[in-house]
Amino acid sequence: MTVTAERETEVVYPDPTPPVLGGFQGLPQRPGWLSQHLGTAAIGAVLGYLLGHWLGNVVASGYTNIADSGVNAVAITGGLLLGVFGWLLGIGALNYPLAKMVGLELRPDYESTSWTRYLRYTVDHKVVGLQYVIGVLAFLFTGGLLAMGIRTELLSPSSHLFGPGTYIAIVSEHGTIMMMMATSVIVGPLGNWLVPLMIGARRTAFPRVEAFSFWIFTAGYLVILSALFYGGFPTGWTGYAPLQTQAGGGMMSYLVGFAVIGLGMMAAGFNLAVTIINYRAPGMTWSRIPIFVWSILATCALLTLATPTLVAAGFFGILDHTAQTAFFVTEHGGSSFLWENLFWFFGHPEVYIMALPGFGIVFEILPVFTRKPLFAYKVAAAGMVGVALLSFFVWQHHLFQSGINPDMRPLFMLTTELISIPTGFIYLVGLGTLYKAKIKFEVPMLFALALFFNFLIGGITGVFLSDVPVNVTVHGSFFVLAHFHYTIMGGLIFAFFGGLYYWLPKMTGKTMNKKLGQIHFWIMFIFFNLTFFPMFLIGLLGQPRRVFEYAQNLQALNDFSSVSAFILGASFLVFVANFVWSIFIKPTPAPANPWDSLGLEWQTPTPVPYYNFERIPVVLSDPYHYSEENAPAVADLGEEGVLVAAGASSPASVAEDPRPPAQ
Amino acid sequence: MSGDNAVTDTADKPQMFTETPEEREFELRAAVGAYWSGGRLLIGMFTFLFASLAFAYFYLRSNNAGQLWRPGGITAPTGIGGAIFAVAVASSLLAIYGQGRLRSGSTLDWEVSGWTAVLGGLVAIGLQIWQLTQLPFFPGSSGYASCFIGWAVMNIMLLVSGVYWLETNLALCIRLRRLDAEDGTLATSVGPVAQLFRANVESCTYFWGFMAVVGGLFWVFFYLI
Amino acid sequence: MTIDNAESEGQGVAAEAVIAQPGKEPRHIWRMVAIWLVLSAVLDPLFYILVGPHVPPGTMTSAAKDNQFDFNILLVAALPVFLAVWVYLAYSAVVWRASRKGAPEPVGGAQARTHLGVQVGWIVTTTVIVLGLFAFGTVEVITKAGSGGGEGPNPIWTPTSATILPVQVIAQQWKFTYRYPTFGGFESQQLIVPNNTTIAFHVTSLDVIHGFWAYELSIKADANPQQDNVAYATTRQTGSVTVRCEELCGLWHGAMFNYGKVVSKAAFMAWAKSTEAGTAANTKLLPPFAYTYVPDANGSDGGYYPDNVDPYSNSEVYGAKPAAS
Repeated sequence: MTVTAERETEVVYPDPTPPVLGGFQGLPQRPGWLSQHLGTAAIGAVLGYLLGHWLGNVVASGYTNIADSGVNAVAITGGLLLGVFGWLLGIGALNYPLAKMVGLELRPDYESTSWTRYLRYTVDHKVVGLQYVIGVLAFLFTGGLLAMGIRTELLSPSSHLFGPGTYIAIVSEHGTIMMMMATSVIVGPLGNWLVPLMIGARRTAFPRVEAFSFWIFTAGYLVILSALFYGGFPTGWTGYAPLQTQAGGGMMSYLVGFAVIGLGMMAAGFNLAVTIINYRAPGMTWSRIPIFVWSILATCALLTLATPTLVAAGFFGILDHTAQTAFFVTEHGGSSFLWENLFWFFGHPEVYIMALPGFGIVFEILPVFTRKPLFAYKVAAAGMVGVALLSFFVWQHHLFQSGINPDMRPLFMLTTELISIPTGFIYLVGLGTLYKAKIKFEVPMLFALALFFNFLIGGITGVFLSDVPVNVTVHGSFFVLAHFHYTIMGGLIFAFFGGLYYWLPKMTGKTMNKKLGQIHFWIMFIFFNLTFFPMFLIGLLGQPRRVFEYAQNLQALNDFSSVSAFILGASFLVFVANFVWSIFIKPTPAPANPWDSLGLEWQTPTPVPYYNFERIPVVLSDPYHYSEENAPAVADLGEEGVLVAAGASSPASVAEDPRPPAQ
Repeated sequence: MSGDNAVTDTADKPQMFTETPEEREFELRAAVGAYWSGGRLLIGMFTFLFASLAFAYFYLRSNNAGQLWRPGGITAPTGIGGAIFAVAVASSLLAIYGQGRLRSGSTLDWEVSGWTAVLGGLVAIGLQIWQLTQLPFFPGSSGYASCFIGWAVMNIMLLVSGVYWLETNLALCIRLRRLDAEDGTLATSVGPVAQLFRANVESCTYFWGFMAVVGGLFWVFFYLI
Repeated sequence: MTIDNAESEGQGVAAEAVIAQPGKEPRHIWRMVAIWLVLSAVLDPLFYILVGPHVPPGTMTSAAKDNQFDFNILLVAALPVFLAVWVYLAYSAVVWRASRKGAPEPVGGAQARTHLGVQVGWIVTTTVIVLGLFAFGTVEVITKAGSGGGEGPNPIWTPTSATILPVQVIAQQWKFTYRYPTFGGFESQQLIVPNNTTIAFHVTSLDVIHGFWAYELSIKADANPQQDNVAYATTRQTGSVTVRCEELCGLWHGAMFNYGKVVSKAAFMAWAKSTEAGTAANTKLLPPFAYTYVPDANGSDGGYYPDNVDPYSNSEVYGAKPAAS
């Protein structure tokens, strides 16, 4: 950590500005009262919204069909867009792009290392990662509260807690928030935090793009919440077109919100993809990068290439509402099928955006708690890339009964079922790793194993849905709902919490309480299954999605599901309690490598220094050489020839390791 | 060249760090590579964005719901459309030519052609906005009209991105003129700043070429077929 | 078919047992295969015989019966896969847990990282299963006239029956109405169809996208504005039918359902004839029967007109300047 002035060859930098990028020009440090943070962002958003709303009213005032419609979509869109712009301006996201226009390279503000940096626009990927942790948890719990509302309404088939408008607004808001959140739930927090450490990099390629992705993600959250103030929107998260065209002001929040979140997804994927391609440490070849990095790379390919379609679709929708074009208006030369095609062309890769990082996480967790190498590493990587590629060719399986291209149905059935082959690789790798292992049921491992249980149900029911004849029975019913909750929640969210329990000791330097973690896991696992498994039956018995009235004979199953859902919701309170207790109230310092992992990210001190590695490591092998005689060292961390040793079988290097011994 | 604008108050600073020459070389190569792959990835993202528009165009065209794809074969003003296309392509060619000159060592030639290209881009944006006020149809009157409005706005966004990117490089070039390295100009120096600058310009020029291709494709879609 | 595939999967994994050191270590893979075989052999027929006949959507139509059969086949194929993974997970959680007394140390190294036979066996097995399911599904959808799913305006997989009764389903916010073109095009609030008849449902919508789901008939087709979406089923039993909307269509989507009936042919004829006569005055006021209905943007009454109205006749309303020639 100390500055080694005696070494002639080294250049000592007094601030953490990336040396090859900054340093040659800069503005003087700003005084404290000019600094930008969450508060200025909020002010910017409010001012921007007011300005945009006013401008929209001025622009639209000459068009009576808009101005007199009761819902001035132009004003709402203007308000939301300028609100997002003001938010970015207020947080300082635009300082750098604007300074570049006059040829200046701004150095970021690092006036302190206090907690207030979490409220700022920073270029430290570890700060952004932790910001994302809080961000996605807020997102997740908002969506979860709405789900509690849905399940409360469904307690009774005929007497209602909400009016139909409120109910449909809650359902739509729940779906949209969860889908938006889920695209970032692992890439944002864990991807940003871990990938540079895992590949031995000191930084990400475009740290400001990374920070931008987080702050526009939060702006998207606020935009989508704003729908509630316009009375919500009635279309669900899919936003099908004639209804979308018919809907009121809340629809603008949906369209703008999805487009804005889409920008954030593209930014996050762009930065991580470029980082993985270019910033891998010497020796970190494609066959040595941790499998989590493979999963993030495949996800980034989808994030950057599929999301533009969503942005375009949202943009067309905004034009339909504001400029009064007719993209989705069949009577005026458009087509409602156009939205369905564009939306699902993004929508299906999106579900793999959600699934792939989850697989990556469990593959990082499994070897550590089985003390075995990852089985069939290359198959795992090939599976992820294969899923990513195939996911672009399956979108019309959402439209089997829609009347679009009915003769293409066998083709899309084929592509959809083919995707289960690379997905099946996940099980080959997982089960192969468990073979003759020594399984330690730590909390992260429990979550990882739960993924294999849940995702199996989700995945195989997916094959049911891909089968055209069976799809006639189950399409649009609670069966579908149960299926994708099993894949997204049972897969992704379980992996996310497993990843949090696994890496939070590194990220925060504090140990999570194990007992509370186990309680959280068992409640969540049991009641997740009790909530969603009955929904397969409910769907088969004829209950369509998004309804508030259902057949009398389904009440028992629905009530069972609802009560389980309430307990499932309560399990997250255990997590919050654990998080607050272990990190803030009674923190126990975590050792640098509590799980005894060989991963590069665990070889750094805790807390991880600003520049991650004192020397850029030289990678010597992949990090999965557990329980191996004469295992090769993982990496040369550059301190007097210290190697990261693979196991107790290479005593020479262990003896030289100055770091505290693993627990 | 660096470290000279040190801030004296380091008490609150994150830990200092050090770099060996090898590490600086590694970081430099990574940053140059990031410009290369980032530029290509950006083009990939824009490709999917415009592919969505092309999909909308051909979907509505083949659908022709209610014979309302393009009643009466009406098009947007072809003169202005042709002018936008010509100006955009000429600017792109200029930018590409300028980068060739930069590669052969002439910073000044690149600057002149670059600023001209920026001007051309601005003219194209202006023409595109003007064209929007001269349309013989209303946005919702046909599928063609809808797609055209979508194209016009997306084209403005594309042109603004390209102009912004090139402009930042040109501004950087002016700013760095005072800082010319000992071993040559920005075009010839092997110093990190110059290498990064050239990588940036190279990706930016590639993007301008992409802009010309997109402009050409949609010019064919909207005015020829 | 499935049992065979699953068995070869088991053999693929079993190959791993060969390389494991024999010694006193039990043959884990054979134990698992035995457990799995017993469970599969018991549960699969049990499901098929006991649960299978009660699987929704029942047997009221040919489409329902076919789809029930397809669902059962998929489940019979899926059960051994579920069991294979669950047996493996449970077995490893019990036998290979670190807390078990005398648990052997795991062995890393090359043999734990990759095993060509297992990998190839796995990939081949899953590919065979997937292609088999694809072939099965394709044959079913083609030979069973689209299995009751919406097939767009020009279906290519149609029933062979010589007599097909067309029934039009008109979805609108928030109800379904039905027109019977072969009975003068009268419109009914209730779906009534004859037994032992092949029926073509022509599904369309007046406003937004709805989903026509006649649960017991196993008919599901999106109702798109200005498109005809055809689905076929042949009725086999009389009884009551639940119709629900299964695409989110706005405020009252949740309450968009009604009930229909499959009745005997004679009863249907009697009902249709009398309704046709009884509603003749109303039918005259309806737009002529058409497969889709285009809203008349020019009409002061906001009525609906058939799609043979020239949409150019009111192009000013759309804001377009008159066409050049």
